[in-house]
Amino acid sequence: MPNRLFPFALAFASGGLLSLMILFNGQWAANGTALFASWMAHGTGSLAALVFLAGLSLTGKGPRPAPVAKAPRWAYLGGLSGAVTVMLSSTAVNSALALSGTLALGLVGQAGFSLLSDRFGWFGLPRRRIRAADLGALALILAGSGLIIFSERLAP
Amino acid sequence: MILPLGFALGAGVLVGVSRSLNGRLSLATSPLAASLWNHVVGFAFLSAVAGIFGGLMPNGWPDAPLTAWAGGTVGVLFVASGSWLVARIGATMTAMLVIAGQMVSGVALDLALGHGEGLWIKAAGVALILSGMWLAQRRR
Repeated sequence: MPNRLFPFALAFASGGLLSLMILFNGQWAANGTALFASWMAHGTGSLAALVFLAGLSLTGKGPRPAPVAKAPRWAYLGGLSGAVTVMLSSTAVNSALALSGTLALGLVGQAGFSLLSDRFGWFGLPRRRIRAADLGALALILAGSGLIIFSERLAP
Repeated sequence: MILPLGFALGAGVLVGVSRSLNGRLSLATSPLAASLWNHVVGFAFLSAVAGIFGGLMPNGWPDAPLTAWAGGTVGVLFVASGSWLVARIGATMTAMLVIAGQMVSGVALDLALGHGEGLWIKAAGVALILSGMWLAQRRR
């Protein structure tokens, strides 16, 4: 059983992966379009995931019998939602919002959705009580993110 | 102006929707299998969009640096970790910690790539984020 802080460290590290992913995928977009970048990332990612899964099953560490019954069909649509995200954000970036406004509003949308999703147990995931400390932490993290996102506009 | 506002907010909401869907799928399969489905479905959808609207293959795409090829693989690990996390620590905790990691590593990347503008403001932002993370992990 992973230690108490393991998920915290993993989530923080996963945010680092996201930065790298945006940097690398952006290199396709610099030479093409946002659609092409996303298409390439999904294509090469599909191959990489197949290789990882094959590697895991060869070493006998493949997925254990799943603890929960079959997933509903809608649970397979995460990739659709991810692909539409790219279209919406690449459109918004090219408006008056620019990159900083798009990023900031995106964080607000993500935070609002997550709070409601935990509160009501959306998408078949467990309901969670939201503690005052969690709201405080979210507010601090969003405020800090806002400062970073707008730092170049705020700088004297 | 309303339309781009809605698009930017909607993009954030869909990031959360995608993570929850993949998290639910990972409960019945595995985080890596959920990540595979995420990429295959996204690829099929984007191929269809490109087929309808055309203009997918831009000129000059082979000139992209080699690291561009690594983006998809990094994305697989990102989606797999998000699927594992959302089912265990919840959507809010996952979202806020991933945002924290993204922002702090973004500042580090900016420094490494020589974008030093507004450094003090960025440092204050990092301090706020770290204090938020400290608050989030208390009494757990």
